[in-house]
Amino acid sequence: MYQYSEQDHQLLLERVSQFRGQVARRLKGELSEEEFKHQRLRNGLYLQLHAYMLRVAIPYGLLSSEQMRTLAHIARKYDKGYGHFSTRQNIQYNWPKLEDVPDILDDLAKVEMHAIQTSGNCIRNTTSDPLAGVARDEIEDPRPYCELIRQWSTFHPEFNFLPRKFKIAVSGATQDRAAVAVHDIGLRLVKSKTSEEIGFEVYVGGGLGRTPMLGKVIRAFLPKQDMLTYLEAILRVYNMLGRRDNIYKARIKILVHETGEEKFRELVEAEWEKIKAGGLYLKEEDFNWVKGFFNDPEYDILPDQDADFENLMLSNADFARWVDKNIELHKQSGYRIVYLSLKTAHQPPGDVTADQMDAIADLADKYSLGHIRTTHRQNLVLSDVQLKDLPALWGELKALDLATPNYNHVTDIISCPGLDYCALATARSIPISQAITARFDDYDFINDLGDVSINISGCINACGHHHVANIGILGVNKKGTEVYQLTLGGSAREDAAIGKIIGPAFEADEIVDAVSEVLSVYLENREDPEETFLTAYRRLGPALFKERLYG
Amino acid sequence: MALQVYTASLLKEGLVAYLALDNGRPSWTTDIHLATVSNDDALETLKTAAEQSEQDNIVVAPYAIDVFQTENGIVAATKREQIRAAGPTIALPQDNIRESREAA
Ligand code: HEM
Ligand code: SF4
Repeated sequence: MYQYSEQDHQLLLERVSQFRGQVARRLKGELSEEEFKHQRLRNGLYLQLHAYMLRVAIPYGLLSSEQMRTLAHIARKYDKGYGHFSTRQNIQYNWPKLEDVPDILDDLAKVEMHAIQTSGNCIRNTTSDPLAGVARDEIEDPRPYCELIRQWSTFHPEFNFLPRKFKIAVSGATQDRAAVAVHDIGLRLVKSKTSEEIGFEVYVGGGLGRTPMLGKVIRAFLPKQDMLTYLEAILRVYNMLGRRDNIYKARIKILVHETGEEKFRELVEAEWEKIKAGGLYLKEEDFNWVKGFFNDPEYDILPDQDADFENLMLSNADFARWVDKNIELHKQSGYRIVYLSLKTAHQPPGDVTADQMDAIADLADKYSLGHIRTTHRQNLVLSDVQLKDLPALWGELKALDLATPNYNHVTDIISCPGLDYCALATARSIPISQAITARFDDYDFINDLGDVSINISGCINACGHHHVANIGILGVNKKGTEVYQLTLGGSAREDAAIGKIIGPAFEADEIVDAVSEVLSVYLENREDPEETFLTAYRRLGPALFKERLYG
Repeated sequence: MALQVYTASLLKEGLVAYLALDNGRPSWTTDIHLATVSNDDALETLKTAAEQSEQDNIVVAPYAIDVFQTENGIVAATKREQIRAAGPTIALPQDNIRESREAA
């Protein structure tokens, strides 16, 4: 993991003390809300439906156990004892008091965390693959590149006032677990077609919101040395030409769309020519230095089997289910990757209590080399667990209600906070996710359905990624009633697709039945149990589903 | 005639608050039932008081909402404002939920 330099620490402390002064002046009335709003948003502090909301950055989803304990401490001391892990791998607190926020930021700074650039029209936290560095299908570890981007984009003076927010995702594996196609810039590490060299495939102009679009490949292969110069060129073009007259047209996706992919590419390449040999050109020593923070831990040399583990698999069906659903193979023999499901019937998707956070930190220390990752599907990952420890870990996770065997299955639902918390919401999303979870609580049914995603957003801003779910649900307000639109056929993976609205919206008490019907159509029509929902939907088309839903 | 109350967020806590006028003296309460209800004619008085409170840095962004007077007190007209008044409609995560779940 990256460790702050003395200078990083200093910068952060100065920033907190600056904000402390601004809060004090606001509370004394020396700053108006108009003046202050801008400052607080620079520090990740929103004013939401019921209270302030603080968004804390988790750089590319990586947390140490010590950082997790700090997050628990903040939840307990300054909030209502829980936090919400978001689809951008960050954590949000829903109830902080304004006067406490500087203290919270101080506590965060002690463990090299902050809320800078988690809001506002700047480059936000870079997101990545939660299995970075341990996945079997990895081409190269994306984390060093994420860190280089983090350093380049943090406090970048030129890009502090972009036309709109800007989100970058980096993936280093064959499977896309970072949703690169729906980011302003998506970078995929790929092997060159003509040599052994690894570089980037560059996607630009993806995004969700009211105009969902998939990113366009504007460069099929970018040498790694050119990563920052090329990003800088894209951002410059966007900063100059992106629309500032209309907030709904301000994202880079609209610029790429309106300019045309070809012309946009030319503009970027022209800008790049001017700066590609400049100071941002990455040298071997830059890579060596940053990669030093992400060296493999010293793994034990272990066999890839364990007798106790195998016995429990045979004798305990619950354990076997959990292993089947929530465990992933590790690149290292004798190790496994463990998903901690934050999707239960008892808590909103992504919510974790302070006690759970502390316990997770302890489990990470005990079983997983002291690290935790957050995922864009709002779950957590312990990335380096020894096979022989799985039975013990499972027991502890079960007691914490973090072992629901549902990863990438129907109850692994993404949900934004919706109208229960969010000032922009048009409908509630959490109660819908809970109703769906309650309806489909039978393991055999969930297992039989296989790989399927349901994502829910409480308004057209699409923070809950509903456009890229196999089954997407969007809550809207129709003459004062919350109603829910169904979209089918989306995907956030390497076969990324934007789902299509299937028909008129459903009322809250109809939407779970509607989802159930959609699932039935799939089960009745799939070629065999291996054919996933998405594959079947793509083969069948919407007609059958439409007919079942609307007659 | 439409009934209204004034609402805002408390500057310090960020919590939802409602304006109550007691002999013309303004105070802010988190309990919507204690808010001063006004019809269209008297709304101007509430508005003036709310804006004054904003200038005095007690609240942020005051605005008027439609309400109904019912047997159970004041009820906001829209779902959004009902949720603002009563808090999230879901059980908040709590550490002791787990114990009670196990006990059940
Ligand atoms: C305080 C609550 C929030 C506010 C005010 C807010 C605001 C917004 C807005 C206005 C957009 C649309 C941007 C655009 O189309 O240009 C958006 C998009 C998005 N937000 Fe949020 N959001 C909130 C909470 C969240 C949460 C909790 C998550 C994660 C669960 C999240 C993740 C995202 C994502 C992934 C997108 C879509 C990607 C994109 O930017 O196109 N946001 N948000
Ligand atoms: S999608 Fe809408 S309701 Fe949900 S968090 Fe984003 S802005 Fe709020």
